[in-house]
Amino acid sequence: MMSTSISTNELSNIKLSMLRPKWGKYVQALFILALALLIFGPLLNLLIWSVAETWYYPHKLPLTWGFKYWEQVFGSDSDVYSSLLTSLAIAILTVLVCLLVSIPAAYALARRSLPFRAAVMLIFLLPQAFPNIAVYMNVARIFYYWDLNGTILGVVLVHTVHGLMFSIWITVAAFSSVDPQQELAARNIGAGPIKVFFSVSLPQAMPGIIASCIFVFLESLDEFTGTFFVGAPEITTLPLLLYTASMEGNYQIASITAMVLLVPSISFMLLVDRFIKPEMLSKIGH
Amino acid sequence: MLEKRSYSVVMVVPALAIILVFFIYPLLFSLHSALTDSEGNLSLIHIYKAFELYSKDILFTFLIVIISIFLIGVLSITIGGLIALSPYKRLVAALSFIYRWPLFIPFIVSAQMMRTFLAKNGLMNNAFVSLGLLEPLDAISFLGWTGIIFTFVWKQTAFSTLMVSGAMAALEPTQIQSARNLGASKLRILFQIIIPQIIPTLGVSLILSAVSILSVLSVPLMIGTGSPTMLTADMAFRISSYGDYGTANSLGLISYLFAAVLAWFYLRHSLNTGIKK
Amino acid sequence: MKLQLSQIALLSTSLLAINASAAEQIVLNVASAGSQNMVDYVKTYLAPKFEAAHPGVSVRVFGTGPGDAGSHKIMEKLEAQQKNNAQTWDIDVAVVHQKIGGEMKNKDLLSQYRSEVNTSNLVSRDSATNALGVNVDGYVMPMFHSQTAIAYNSDLVKQVPQSYDELVQWAQDHPKAFGYNGIKNGMSGVSFVTGWIYAYGSDAEQLSQLPYKPELKNSWTDAFAQLKSFNNNVTFTPGNAGTLDMLNRGEIVMGPVWVDMFYSWKDSGKIPPSMKLALIAPGMPGQPMYYVVPDKASQADLAKAFIELATSPEVQAEGIVERFNWYPGIDAQHVKSQMEDASWNKLFAEISPSDLSRKGKNFPIAAYFDDIKESYERQVAN
Repeated sequence: MMSTSISTNELSNIKLSMLRPKWGKYVQALFILALALLIFGPLLNLLIWSVAETWYYPHKLPLTWGFKYWEQVFGSDSDVYSSLLTSLAIAILTVLVCLLVSIPAAYALARRSLPFRAAVMLIFLLPQAFPNIAVYMNVARIFYYWDLNGTILGVVLVHTVHGLMFSIWITVAAFSSVDPQQELAARNIGAGPIKVFFSVSLPQAMPGIIASCIFVFLESLDEFTGTFFVGAPEITTLPLLLYTASMEGNYQIASITAMVLLVPSISFMLLVDRFIKPEMLSKIGH
Repeated sequence: MLEKRSYSVVMVVPALAIILVFFIYPLLFSLHSALTDSEGNLSLIHIYKAFELYSKDILFTFLIVIISIFLIGVLSITIGGLIALSPYKRLVAALSFIYRWPLFIPFIVSAQMMRTFLAKNGLMNNAFVSLGLLEPLDAISFLGWTGIIFTFVWKQTAFSTLMVSGAMAALEPTQIQSARNLGASKLRILFQIIIPQIIPTLGVSLILSAVSILSVLSVPLMIGTGSPTMLTADMAFRISSYGDYGTANSLGLISYLFAAVLAWFYLRHSLNTGIKK
Repeated sequence: MKLQLSQIALLSTSLLAINASAAEQIVLNVASAGSQNMVDYVKTYLAPKFEAAHPGVSVRVFGTGPGDAGSHKIMEKLEAQQKNNAQTWDIDVAVVHQKIGGEMKNKDLLSQYRSEVNTSNLVSRDSATNALGVNVDGYVMPMFHSQTAIAYNSDLVKQVPQSYDELVQWAQDHPKAFGYNGIKNGMSGVSFVTGWIYAYGSDAEQLSQLPYKPELKNSWTDAFAQLKSFNNNVTFTPGNAGTLDMLNRGEIVMGPVWVDMFYSWKDSGKIPPSMKLALIAPGMPGQPMYYVVPDKASQADLAKAFIELATSPEVQAEGIVERFNWYPGIDAQHVKSQMEDASWNKLFAEISPSDLSRKGKNFPIAAYFDDIKESYERQVAN
């Protein structure tokens, strides 16, 4: 009984494999092609705009091409350069602040039997779970009274709140994967807790910590809404500059700024497999 | 032991303090401002005004979110399923290379691309016209609700697919193999074996997407046309044009509640399936 | 890699140190609301001129964004510093919109500097003393006067509407060819709506002066209902610049724009020469941009010198009129005498002086203005 049923199945499989896969292959290839066009079309469009010097209706492509606007963007009295520096400074400071507070916190959350551990972990998730624009408008209001509005520090703090979820959660996962036997062994041969931390735990958690830094860095670099409420007008980051340029109809400047922002985003996207393990992702939500 | 505990509490405190002071406090502040009148008494006056002025925008926002996450869900299951089950290694490699490009592209950059890509005489329509697929006079602008949805789906599908396909990769390969041996079709394997197991991950990814859609200001400002528009744009307008934090925060409260309802649906569903199991 | 990181760290710390090093050189902080063309005017034209005349002073210009929202940001900032009892405030000169200028005066944020500026007697226009119902006499100097009008593509529009009535008819005959940006996305749309109320609600004279009658807004119901059905025939655009951009891309053929932005775009080739302007009856609003000095500006004297330069007949003639084709802030005769008739007349190439004086209206006083915007949201948008 058993063996016959399997063999009929095998038979039908063979039949199917003669008929279906070809179709399947074309359909799949077509789907992938459509997806590719939809994904790369807008990117190509950005590229064209960045080198379009004049582009009138009804011309389907620019009339004159060139790097005039690139020269303008990277010229001496351009705002792009200083916004880039501001953006970088804010992103790096945000990473530092996140590291400073999340390494001890994550170590404690991963290693020790902390009271209300689950609740604490959830609190760090909150900034991602609430639509944050409503919070940012009020942060701006509060910051006026604390004199933090329009300062680098104010923007860094807002970005830190947003980034902490990544840095805490990823760093906790990194410390959790450190082998406790090794720490214990180090303690047994007489090393103090601080020495154990720096010579055993931290090096093993380093890949995870670096991954969290990259996340926080990108989040900060790309952040618009919080900076819009808290930083503007004094602090102009690249996303803010892009927004103004776009709303003013300076599409070339906006496109070039966008391309500058794309460099870190796309490089990290290409490397994402090295930092994110599917096993880790699958744990989220369980 | 007690000493150790207090050490670890001390280690967590700075991070926790940052969240409390710079997130929880403003959050409570926003709730307070939404629910009190100018004298500081508890009142629904701002909520009432928010509905009176923006009921159309509230509905519009919710529809945008629902349609977007539905499309994101469908697309990420399709892409994830193809990657997990397709026998054509080259196609799978191409697909997994392609889908993730938008992953870390900021919303504001996506908005800028779409603004010129989706316009009436933008690159997309121009390409269709050149290919003879479209008459120039029939070209319509996608700036508006379709453009907003397109942008959100374009940007968020990568994230959702990455999570979904990560969850699929982590499934026991023997399960799928044995179903195959029993002659189950690919579609059946996808719907009866794979999807039920990745629902929690899919749910989380869709809720996170919904929350980010509810938070994004740049996309409705740059792609939308203002009437109707999304709640984020209304909040910004309420503040910059009238300095009216009460109504703005009421709109914020409405968007919190919406996110909470979605999360509740999800939790209820995952609890139910948990019990069934 | 390590080296690069340390370089970046160095950069970021040096960026933080800018404030510290600023103490050695005197910095004049100028905040400008309004579109990029205005910020660029201050940054690339005025600031270098002022720095050349005042060695050791550097002018730091920052734009705070278009529309009332941009001015609102400046006001919020100063208000916070006022509440914190700060000894000196961070902004020395601000360029703000008319409405916010009035609000700032009411909140005691401004200094009464005008009499201490030599150019003060060159302005006699009403809007230099009256900001939508608020008496700002002595607190402001107009930078330039800005006007809204209807832009259209003269290749495609042969019979140009001369009034709101004709425009309604035209939009009905050419569905979706007229475009504007609603009221949430820049002031040109707000102006169009205000003009609509002037035409079909209450006239401009009544709405532009006190006393404020809260019940008046109830009489606009019909006007807004008509606007709602008019909106079915229009295309909505994303912002002031969005309207110009869609005109350029052939997506609409007519729409309300700021005259100054229109000229800037035309000048840089971003819209074709076939674009023309019409100021339709009964009229559309315009407003001056104000130079103000905050009450506790740290460089008040330099601020006055800066405004004196900016409102001098030479700068108004060369910078505002000749270069940018904007309507001057100070009285016309002082500017006209500084320049050749040909370039002066260019100002009126599109809109004649008589049209401008008949159909160029003020914005309504602040309370009516809010009524118009909010009624629009209530009755038209929702």
